[in-house]
Amino acid sequence: MNDNEKLRQILTKDLDVRASDGAYDRMLHAVLEEHESTRRTQSAKTLTIAGRFVMKKPMIRFAIAAVIVAAVILGLLEFIGTGSKSAVVWAEVAQKVNASRGVIFRMTEHIVPDTYEQGVDFTVNHWSSTQSRLDGYKGDKIIKTIWTNCNTKTGTLVDHYHKSYVKMTFEKTMPDRFGMADPNSMIQRFLSCQHKELGPKTIAGVLCEGMETTDPAFYGGGNPPEPPMARVWVSVETGYPVQFEGERVYDEAHHTLVQDQFQWDTKLDASLFEPNIPAGYIDISP
Amino acid sequence: MIDIEDELLKWRFRRGSREALARIYEKYVHLLLSVAMGLLNDPRDAEDVVQDAFVSFARNATGFGIRGNLKAFLAICVANRARDRLRSEHSHKRCVDRYVPESSDAGEADQSLVYNERCERLNQALAELPYEQREVVVLKVKQEMTLRQIARLQGVSIGTVHGRYRYGMEKLRALLNGDMEP
Repeated sequence: MNDNEKLRQILTKDLDVRASDGAYDRMLHAVLEEHESTRRTQSAKTLTIAGRFVMKKPMIRFAIAAVIVAAVILGLLEFIGTGSKSAVVWAEVAQKVNASRGVIFRMTEHIVPDTYEQGVDFTVNHWSSTQSRLDGYKGDKIIKTIWTNCNTKTGTLVDHYHKSYVKMTFEKTMPDRFGMADPNSMIQRFLSCQHKELGPKTIAGVLCEGMETTDPAFYGGGNPPEPPMARVWVSVETGYPVQFEGERVYDEAHHTLVQDQFQWDTKLDASLFEPNIPAGYIDISP
Repeated sequence: MIDIEDELLKWRFRRGSREALARIYEKYVHLLLSVAMGLLNDPRDAEDVVQDAFVSFARNATGFGIRGNLKAFLAICVANRARDRLRSEHSHKRCVDRYVPESSDAGEADQSLVYNERCERLNQALAELPYEQREVVVLKVKQEMTLRQIARLQGVSIGTVHGRYRYGMEKLRALLNGDMEP
């Protein structure tokens, strides 16, 4: 064994610092408190905005009807330019998205500097209201697949690279339906934050209108070093999101995320959500 | 190498699981404290930066950004905070050094973290290294990060990191003077 190897062994073994019981509990308490506080804040925002939609829906319809009637009566329709008003009613977009039976989309993340490596190039995601499947691609190969099921509170992760898998049962606190992390809640999150509407833009041949927020609450609050950004583009024709873009600085790294190639209100085959573990894979569940 | 338990923990954590967060804490808190002590050689600062890293991590549960290796991600959070802490302490120290006597209440903080004499000796020796070398040695040896990952963290070339590692290990060996055996 050479000197460097000896020193490595010494450092690995002896550079060993542990928290006392008191410190361990104190830090854990602070961490879980923060987590709970963040969750409470986000849940309250979601509930508030959901309630606001219910209240606003008749008002929006009434307002639209009133404007049309008034315009016809006054003979002013010819003066209403198509570019002067948003063609997207965001509250209705939120409703459509929430009512979507299933959605498929691609997600691409970039981190600069990419210190973490080992990530996938992109993921292809299938979401229903209670089940999801994520296929992580490196190049053109799937290197991992994750299934989750809120009905059975179970999850399965298959690591194709190492030919192994893990099955887990979720704790009782897991939701019965997907919450903040799923794309269905995206519009609600935008509307619950400070935001501005963007003008029209054509994305992949689809005429869209956008909404943008730089409110830290969109990503869970806190006091980030730079304002984060999130932007969503919605098809004027279908009223469904076409592209989501996110940017933020977290721990001195610049993160960007794009979700695109959405297929909304898709009836997803149940077999998609059944974990498929190839023969010979090793079960390394804890 | 992908730690499959970590992949699942990340995934559950991003969906709001408190238990996943508690498990991540349980799994990595001692390792991160070891890293923080190796970088800072101060129990109170080490505890602060580790707690701060975990609190920030908890706050960002529903955000994106925990891609790749969770262990390396947390270590980088701690290393970034340790560097910030040293910078701010140095600038603060420059201002008050002449007026404030050395703290005498270190005993209270010492009781928060538990380590033996060999560890204390190693931390003292590491503290003698230039910070960049210390960071490379600790992250590579204790945290098992690759030179490439460390190069990205430090914003330098892999060759520079390799040099820092080599010089750091040589100096550490000289400081320990051969009286520590594995």
